[in-house]
Amino acid sequence: MRYRFAAYALFLVFAGRAEDAHPPTTAAQRLIRPPQIEFDEALAISTALQWWSDRSTFKTIRYGGFRVKPGGMVAGSGFALGGEFFRDDLAGGQVLIRASGRSSFTGYQLYDAEFALPRLLGEHVFVDLLGTYRNFPRMSYFGPGPDSSKNSRTSYRLEDVAYELTVGVNPFSRLRLGASGGFLQVNVGPGQHSRFLSTEEAFGPVTTPGVDRQSDFITTRGFVDFDYRDSTSGPRSGGYYSATFSNYEDRSLRTGSHRRLDLRAQQYIPFFSKQRVIALRGYTALTEARAGHRIPFYLQPTLGGPDTMRGFHPFRFHDENLLLMNAEYRWKISSGVEMAAFVDSGKVFATRQSLDTRDLMHSYGVGMRFNSRESNFLRVDVGCGNEGCRVWLRFNNFF
Amino acid sequence: MAKVQQFLLTCLLAGALVLLAGPPPPQRSTKLGPSSSLRPVGKIEPTRPSDFKEFITESCAGSGQRHSKDRIYPAQDVDSAGGVPDSPWYENRHGTRRMSVDALVRGPGDGPPSSTSPWRVVAIKSEGVTPGFQIKDSADRRYMVKLDPPDHPELATSAEAIATRLFHAFGYHVPGSYIVTFRRQDLIPDAKSDSPIGDQDIDRLLSEQRHDDSGRYRAVANRFIEGELVGPFYFSGVRPDDPNDLIPHEHRRSLRGLYVMSAWLNNTDTKSGNTLDAVVTEDGIRYVKHYLIDFGASLGSASYESKSPRQGHEYKMDLKPALLQLFTAGVYVPKWARAKYSRLRSVGAFEAKSFQPDKWKPSYPNPAFENRLPEDTAWAARKIAAFRDDDIRAIVGTGRYSDPEASEWIVKTLIVRRDKIVRAYLAGSKPNTESAARVTGRTR
Repeated sequence: MRYRFAAYALFLVFAGRAEDAHPPTTAAQRLIRPPQIEFDEALAISTALQWWSDRSTFKTIRYGGFRVKPGGMVAGSGFALGGEFFRDDLAGGQVLIRASGRSSFTGYQLYDAEFALPRLLGEHVFVDLLGTYRNFPRMSYFGPGPDSSKNSRTSYRLEDVAYELTVGVNPFSRLRLGASGGFLQVNVGPGQHSRFLSTEEAFGPVTTPGVDRQSDFITTRGFVDFDYRDSTSGPRSGGYYSATFSNYEDRSLRTGSHRRLDLRAQQYIPFFSKQRVIALRGYTALTEARAGHRIPFYLQPTLGGPDTMRGFHPFRFHDENLLLMNAEYRWKISSGVEMAAFVDSGKVFATRQSLDTRDLMHSYGVGMRFNSRESNFLRVDVGCGNEGCRVWLRFNNFF
Repeated sequence: MAKVQQFLLTCLLAGALVLLAGPPPPQRSTKLGPSSSLRPVGKIEPTRPSDFKEFITESCAGSGQRHSKDRIYPAQDVDSAGGVPDSPWYENRHGTRRMSVDALVRGPGDGPPSSTSPWRVVAIKSEGVTPGFQIKDSADRRYMVKLDPPDHPELATSAEAIATRLFHAFGYHVPGSYIVTFRRQDLIPDAKSDSPIGDQDIDRLLSEQRHDDSGRYRAVANRFIEGELVGPFYFSGVRPDDPNDLIPHEHRRSLRGLYVMSAWLNNTDTKSGNTLDAVVTEDGIRYVKHYLIDFGASLGSASYESKSPRQGHEYKMDLKPALLQLFTAGVYVPKWARAKYSRLRSVGAFEAKSFQPDKWKPSYPNPAFENRLPEDTAWAARKIAAFRDDDIRAIVGTGRYSDPEASEWIVKTLIVRRDKIVRAYLAGSKPNTESAARVTGRTR
C-alpha cells in the first residue's frame, strides 16, 4: 500500500504549485498578514516543493527579481503561465515594484504592473498604484437572471484596462480601511469559443445592457476590512469581515453609472486542535443604477464556478444583485491533506427587495485539499447541483 | 488483474520518483564486527544524501537489514554489561557518571561567540528552513546563527538550546548551542568571505525578523564542527571508506536508542540530513566522528513554525490513520487531537498526556528505530531516567524563555514524558512488549 502513496507523491511533484487564481491582489492586501496559524503541518513533498520554491525565489530576487508566474486567471481560462518581475526589498522594504505577464493555453492574457509603498508611517499607512490589462476571449454568458437556461451559453471577449490608486490606513493590526480612485476602460467583442454562439448573436442590448457598446468608467471605492484569520491562504480559525462601497461613473456613454455594495463575512470554527474546522462564508453584492442608467452585463455580479457555487458552470448566473452562502466541514486526514464536505447556496436577483433566503439554488459535494506551511495550494472539489456534477482542480484556497 | 496492474504502476511511479531524486547512495557494505580500537582513516569521500530520496525510500520500502520472523539482529555496539562503549558515535556521560548541574547547563562546545567586537558575517544560510547566517567572532571561531520564526519568538531557538544539552548529556556528539542576542550594528560583512556578503544582504535577512524595543534580535548560535566535514551519515549500512565503521548503523544500539531519546524530546526530524560526519585528529589518530546536529524541530517546534499536534504520532505518509480519518469523515478523533496544548507560541505543540513512548513516530521511518529491541530501548530509558527533575529544570533554563509559564510547561512536560518512558521500558517484568511483538511478529 505504501507504493500508492509514492504514486500520489509523484502526482504532487508534477502537479506543482500555482498562484491564487483570483484577480491579482495589491501589495497592500498581501502585506496585511494576520498572526500565523498556530498548528499547521506540511506534507513532506509539499514542504520540499515550498523549500525549493523559497530558495529559488530568493535566488531570482538576488539576480534581478524575475520569476515564473503560473495561474492567476479567472475560472475557465485553462492553465496559465507567465513571468513576473518582483522586488519587495527596495529601500529597506519600503518600496514594492511588480510587473507580470501571463497567458493561458486558451488565449487568455493578463498583464499588470504595480508600485506600492506598503509601510509608510510605521506600517500604518499604505499607498498602492496598480495597472491591469486583461484580454479574456472566451468568457461565458448564459443570459440575465436566475431563470437563464444552461443551454443558452454564449461566449464573449472581455478586454479591459484598469488603473487604480489606493490609499489606506491600518489603525490597528487587524483593521484596514481606505479609499481608491481609478479609471476603467472596457471593450466587449465576439467570443472565440467555437462551440457556442457569440453573446451579441444571442442577446440584444435590451436584455443584456452593454453587449453592443461599452463605456469608460471612473471608479471610486471605499473599504473597511477586519481580518483576524490565522492565515490568509489556509485559515483554520478567526474571521474576516469586509465592506466595500464602489461607485462606477460612466464617462463616455453615460448609460451605465451605478453604485455597488459588497459585504463579505467569513468565520472559521476550529475544534480538536484545529484538525476539524467548520468554515462559513456569506457574501452579498448589491447594486443600484442611476436613474435612467442600466448596469452593463460585464460589471454585474455573477454566480457559479469553482469559487462560488461548485455545482454550476463558471459565470453561470448574471444579475444586478447576488447572495452567496458557503458552509464547509473540513477534516484533516493526514499531514498536508484535508477533506471537506460542503454546501453552497445562493442566488442572483434583480431587485434588492429580493434579498432573502427564498428561491436559493444549492450545490453540494466533497473536496480534497493539499496544503503546505499555512497555505492550501491545490484542491480538488466535486460539486453537484440541479444542473449536474462538476469536478474542479484549482490551485488556490476556496475561502 | 486490475490490482496487479495498479501495483505495478505505483511501483513504476515510485521507482521513477526515486530515480528523479538523484543518484543512489554509495554502495554500503555489510561488514560485521565490533569497533574496538580506532584505525586511522585515509581519504573520506563526502556523502550527499537527498532528504527527498530518503523520505521516499524509507516511507515506501525501507533500507538496511531488518528483523524477520526467522532472524533477530541484536545490537552490536554493546559491551558485556549491555552498555554502549565510548566510540566515535557515542560517549558515556550523564547516564553512566552523573554530570554536575553546571556541566549539564554548560553543554558541549567552547562557549558562545565573543561579543567584544562585531561578528563578521561570512555567509547567508541557504540550507534548512529557518533564516540564519554564518559568523566568525573576534577569536575567529565560526558559528551558525539561526533565528526564530517571526510569529513564534523563542520557539525554535529555545528548543535547539535545550535539546542540544540533553542530547549531549545523553552521550551523543553534538555541537555547542547558545542563545545569543545582537543588534544590527553588531554584524559586519566579512571582507574575506568566499561569496561576497554586503550590508544589504544582512539588512534583507533581518528585515522580516522580530526584534525588541532596543533593536536586539534573539537567535541561537551553533558552533561549527571542527575538522574536515564529510557529509551526513545514513541510518543504515556503513560508510565504506571508514575502516572504523564496521557495524551497520541500523544495528547500533546508540542509534536504536536514539528513538527513545527522540521520543522524549519529540525530535521528529531524525534524518540523515540532521547528522554530520567530521574527520578529526585526536591523540594522533585521524578518524571519522559522528555528530547529531540541528535540533530546531524538537519539543513543540517545527523549526519554521509550531509543530502540528499530529507530529510524533503519525508519519507524514501514514496510510492507516489517513484511511481511518477519510472513511470516518473525521468522526474518529485520535487522542492527540483531543489533548490540551499550550497557547504560548514559544512552546508550540508539546505535551505529555497523549504521549505513548513506544508509539511515538518521527516524520518518516528510520531504519535504526525500526530495528529497536527491548534491550536497546531499556538501555536508552536507563540513560533518560538519570535526568532528575532539577537537571531538567536547569537545562530548560538555558532556553531562556522570557515567559516563566513557557519554561514551566516545558519542564513539566519533559518530566511526565520521562516518567512515561521509564514506566514503559523499565518498570515491571514486561517492559517493552509492543516493540518486541512488532519486530518478531509475536509477543514475548
